[in-house]
This record gives sequence, C-alpha cells and structure tokens, in this order.
Amino acid sequence: MNKLDLLKLARQNLWRRKLRTILTVLGVLIGTTSIVVMLSLGIGLRESQRKSMESWGSLTMIRVQQGMAFDNEGNPLGEAKRLNDEAVAEIKAIEGVIAVSPAYDVGGEARLGRKRGGLQLIGIDPEVMDQLEFKAEQGRLLKKGDRNVIVVGSQVIYQFHDESERRKMERGMMMYEDPRSRQQKDPAEMLDQRLSMIMQNGPEKKKNYNFMVVGILEGERNEHSYQAYAPIDDIKKMRDFTRGGSTQRGIGGSGREAVLLARSGKTVAAKKGSSSRDTANDYSFILVRTGKVEQTREVSKTIKDKGYNCWSMADSLEGIEKTSRTVQAVLGGIGAITLLVAALGITNTMIMSIYERTKEIGIMKVIGATFTDIHTLFLAEAGMIGFIGGLFGLGLSYGVSKIINHLFQNYLNRGMPAEEMMSISLIPSWLALFALLFSVVIGLVAGLYPAHRAVRLSPIRAIRNE
Amino acid sequence: MSALIEIKGLTKKYRLGQEIIIALDNVDLTIEEGEFLCILGTSGSGKSTLLHIMAGLERATKGEVLLRGVSLTKMKEKKMAGFRRKYLGFIFQSYNLIPSMTALENVALPLVFDGVNKKARFKRSCEILVQLGLQHRLKNKPTEMSGGQQQRVSIARALVNNPKIVFADEPTGNLDSKTTEEIMKLLKEKVNKTGVTLIMVTHDLELANYGDRVISMRDGKITKIVNNKEGCRDEKKAE
Repeated sequence: MNKLDLLKLARQNLWRRKLRTILTVLGVLIGTTSIVVMLSLGIGLRESQRKSMESWGSLTMIRVQQGMAFDNEGNPLGEAKRLNDEAVAEIKAIEGVIAVSPAYDVGGEARLGRKRGGLQLIGIDPEVMDQLEFKAEQGRLLKKGDRNVIVVGSQVIYQFHDESERRKMERGMMMYEDPRSRQQKDPAEMLDQRLSMIMQNGPEKKKNYNFMVVGILEGERNEHSYQAYAPIDDIKKMRDFTRGGSTQRGIGGSGREAVLLARSGKTVAAKKGSSSRDTANDYSFILVRTGKVEQTREVSKTIKDKGYNCWSMADSLEGIEKTSRTVQAVLGGIGAITLLVAALGITNTMIMSIYERTKEIGIMKVIGATFTDIHTLFLAEAGMIGFIGGLFGLGLSYGVSKIINHLFQNYLNRGMPAEEMMSISLIPSWLALFALLFSVVIGLVAGLYPAHRAVRLSPIRAIRNE
Repeated sequence: MSALIEIKGLTKKYRLGQEIIIALDNVDLTIEEGEFLCILGTSGSGKSTLLHIMAGLERATKGEVLLRGVSLTKMKEKKMAGFRRKYLGFIFQSYNLIPSMTALENVALPLVFDGVNKKARFKRSCEILVQLGLQHRLKNKPTEMSGGQQQRVSIARALVNNPKIVFADEPTGNLDSKTTEEIMKLLKEKVNKTGVTLIMVTHDLELANYGDRVISMRDGKITKIVNNKEGCRDEKKAE
C-alpha cells in the first residue's frame, strides 16, 4: 500500500467522526501545551538566572575571602586560614587555576578635576590583570611595571559630582543617579585624567595619592562597574598610611613580594614564622581565575577544602540550577500527566473506532489488505491525532508563552535595557521539536494496542451477515 | 478446460461450547477454470465454510486446497492477502461496501491496497462501473443507492482487479426477484465474457440453476453434483 494513500485514508477515517477526533486531538493539544509551557518556564527561569549571573560576574572567577569556610549545614570547615603569600602560592598550585592575584581594597573620597566622589579602589597584581577576565572598553588594562595608574569601571564617572550638582543633591533636587546627568556624562571623559584619592590617618593627617586613568572597563552592570583598579603596591602604601604605618613593622611581606611569589608558585617557607603571628598585612581577598567554567566549581571546592572562605558565581549558579532542575521536573511532571491522560484518550478513541469499523476492517482484509496494512492504518490514525494535537499544542504554547512573558514583563524587566530583557517562559527549538516528536510517539504508542486488535479481528466474523 | 482448484479431503471442525461441530467432512472437489459453479445447501450445510476456506479467509482443520497446484491451506497470511488482492474477488449478500466512501472509491479500494496509483485506479474503476451501468452513481455513497445498485458496485469491486476467481456468497439474498434476475444475468454474462471462474453459494435451487454445475451440500458433505452445461442434465450421485 502506498504511503500517501495510507495517510489519506487515515485522514479520511479520522474526519468521519469529526467531533470525536477533535475532542481527542484537544486532549493531546492540552497535554502538549502543558508540557511545553511548563518546561519553558523552567528553561526560562534557568536562562534568565544564568544571564543575570553572567552579567554580574564571570563564571570563571573565584574570590577567596578572609574568614572561615563553612559547609552546607553551616559547620566550620577547619580553621580560618590567613590570606597571605603562602595562601596565594597554595591556591596558585591548584590544578585548573590559571591566574591568581592578591588584592587590597581601600575606599575613600576622590577628586576628578573639580568633581568629587566616593570610590572603592582595589589593588591587584597589574601583570595578571588581563588574565583575570578584565576587558578594557577604552584605553588599556594595567600592565607590568605600572605605577600610579588606574583603570576604572564604566560607571565610576557617575559617582563624581561638581559643586552645583552636590548642592542640588543636598536639597533633594537631584537624584544621586539622575538619568539626566547620566546623559551628560561619558565614561570616556575620565580617560587620561588625573584622579586623586584622599587618604586620612587620624583627624589631621591627610595625604593625596594621584593616579592617571589609563583605561575604562567594559560592562555596565557587573561587579567591576563601580570600582577602580590600581597596582597592588600603590594601594598597599595607601592602606599602610591609613593604618598608621604598619609597614614600619615590616612583617608579612610587601605586595610586590606576594606578586612575585604568586607568579613563581613557590611556597613561602622562609616567611612562615613571622607571617603567622601578624595578620595586619593579610590581603583583603585573593582573586582566582580558572581555565573553564566547568572547572570553577571543582577549584572552588578544593579551595574550601583547604580551609579558605571563597565565593564564586559558579557556586551560586549550581544551587540555582539544582533548584530550577527540580522546578522543571515538577512542572514537566504535571505536563506529562496531562499528556498521559491524552494518550489514554487516543487509545479509547481508537478502540471505539475499531468497534464501529469492525465490518469495514473485515472487508478490507477480504479484498486484500495485509495485516501490515491494517496495523499501519490504525497506527497512522493514532499518530495523526498525536501529530495534529502536538502541532496545535505547540502553536498554543507559543501563544501562552508570549502571554506569560507579556504579563510578567513589567514585573521582571523594569528599567532593563533591551538586550538584557529576560523571558520567564522560553521555548527553544529543541523543545518545540521534542514536543512534536513526543506527541507523535505518544499517539503511536497509544495506537499500538488498538492496531493489534484490529489486526486480530477475524474477517469472517467481521463480515458475517447480521 | 483445466482444473483450477482441487480440494482434497477438506475437513473443518468448530468447537461451539462443549460441542464439536463438523462444518466440512472430508470434502473432495475439482473446479474447472472459467466455470460458474453453484454450491447449494441449507444454512449449516457447510457451503459458506467451504467458500471461506477456498478464499483463504478461514483455516481448514485437515485437508488441502490447491490452486493450480499451489496449496492455499499452507499459505502464510501475508502472501494470502496479496493473493486475494491479485486473483480473487468477493461479492457478499449484504454488499459490504464501505459506507464513508463513494461508489468509485469503494471499487478502487482493492487497487489502493495493491499500490496502484490514483489516476490508474480511478480510470479502471470508472470503466468497470460504466460497464455495469452505474455511470450516474460514481460519486454516490452506498446509502444513496438502491440494493441492486449497491450490489453492482460490489460486483464492480470484485472485478476491478481482473480476478481469476470470484466468490459470491448469496449475492441476491437481500434483493427482490426482479433485481435478482438482473444481477444473476449480469454475473452469468461476466463469466461468459471474461472467462472468470465464479463460485456462488446459495440456498435457492432456482438461482443455483444459473450455474454450469450445481453442487448440493448437506451436513458438511457433497451430496449431489448436477452438470447443466451443454443442456445435458446427467445427474450424478456423489459417493
């Protein structure tokens, strides 16, 4: 039997009982829609979380912080380890780590021409800056041998205000981040400007540290956006000044030494004795970059196992992914149940159809239809119900998905730039294809038993004169 | 004329509840090519069972049916279906047309299963329906036709694949006497014209006499064979 004829015959048979067929198709339609929409919610959730995490920071970065590490139940894991040169070397030695930089951070008031503003300044190893997932939008990154230069985040400029702006803000006439003032400022203005940081040590001792802005970092909404980066030695000096000259004690090694050690990857046995006693020179944190996103979790775990307290976007993502997988499984399960009910509907319809068409099946056998013909015909009918239901269900899913996204749009994406808009429901093409295929398979499986019954019908009994 | 079908020691037993019913009891019969054979008998005589086994619709308990030396009783279902499609035609008492299809579609159905393309099968079906005087009924559904017309459609369907043998099971059982005569004449004419072998089952002696040969059956056995051909009525008692 010709395949096209078979499909035509199947279609004709289905169309004979329009209402029944439509109702059965409707069942599959609802089943498919619920499965697709449910899964699309799970996928949308995960995608939007991944997107927002990526926009906030790199998934290959780990930040080792001071303090103790805790396991999932909140129990401390070993003793708190100090963030000194030993730590830098130890972390550097972990497999999968491609760059490590110790970091100090200082905060304070800064001047940019006539403008003033608060700034958080982080000192890092200038030589590895390009390996730490920093990218310069304009100018350049820090490099080896830099002194008194600074690279700023793209949003830093909005933190600086001149006298008139400050007065307005004080009177409440201008928001701290006024969109109008935003338009008047361009991050590139800062390039090649002199920025001075005013550090204080006690009420009367003040000292200015001058930097030249050499680069503007990429990205408006990440962890670097509101910070500035300078060579670690410069920052250490500033920090020592505010702490009343802890350098005089000369313990713990300078930032430069730390950098050298980090680069060489050597352990710092010689310094051990002195540095363990004094924590004043410990780094604020250590930045770690891994080779691949997949390695980040592993490295992060190793660092924790060694007793450090560390945090990475990848860790948070893992938890979120776990949650969204569970959500997806639950939602998908609900959809699957609906589709299962629809499958029972198909089976039921096909069995009814066999009862009605018993005689017809007998006739077809008598006039030369093979078992295979009959079997295929009934499977084709069941599969067709599945396919049509799946197709329309998919169409409906896109509609429902759009409506859901529209309803939650304001809620989710208030004030977001267009390229960062998130969808709560997302139907990737693989899901669409899977849904269609799945509904056809469901139809075929549901049709197996009825088809088998149709084949087994005795033609004699079927055509016996009533 | 040569032997088309040879039946040897054909036996069919049914189990009906506790009872075992012998529908066919060791039947031997030879059917010539191109003959119009009538099987006459009351209900329960085994005549329909014999027809069904010859057509491969039912399995024999014992014995053999040979068609040109090929055993039908041993043929696999799939091959048998193909065999029916190519060489056999069927006419039933209740026409057995498919109600959802038009006359033309009904006639073309065997060709659909045979994989004949649409154009060819409709051309052929059209031809045969016109031959049977149904040129105005091509697009009608069975319910829109009289019994006689429906039976003509059914005859057209039986003949559409140019079969070697046509089986007719009480083909006029549901028709009035005038239509019956028409149909019988039509069948007879087809046999004479096309050389097809027609095997008809009936309980009506009058109708049976249209046949070249009449075989009477009772209780699963052939009791009498009457040869009508060439006017000679030499009655022969079966042993």
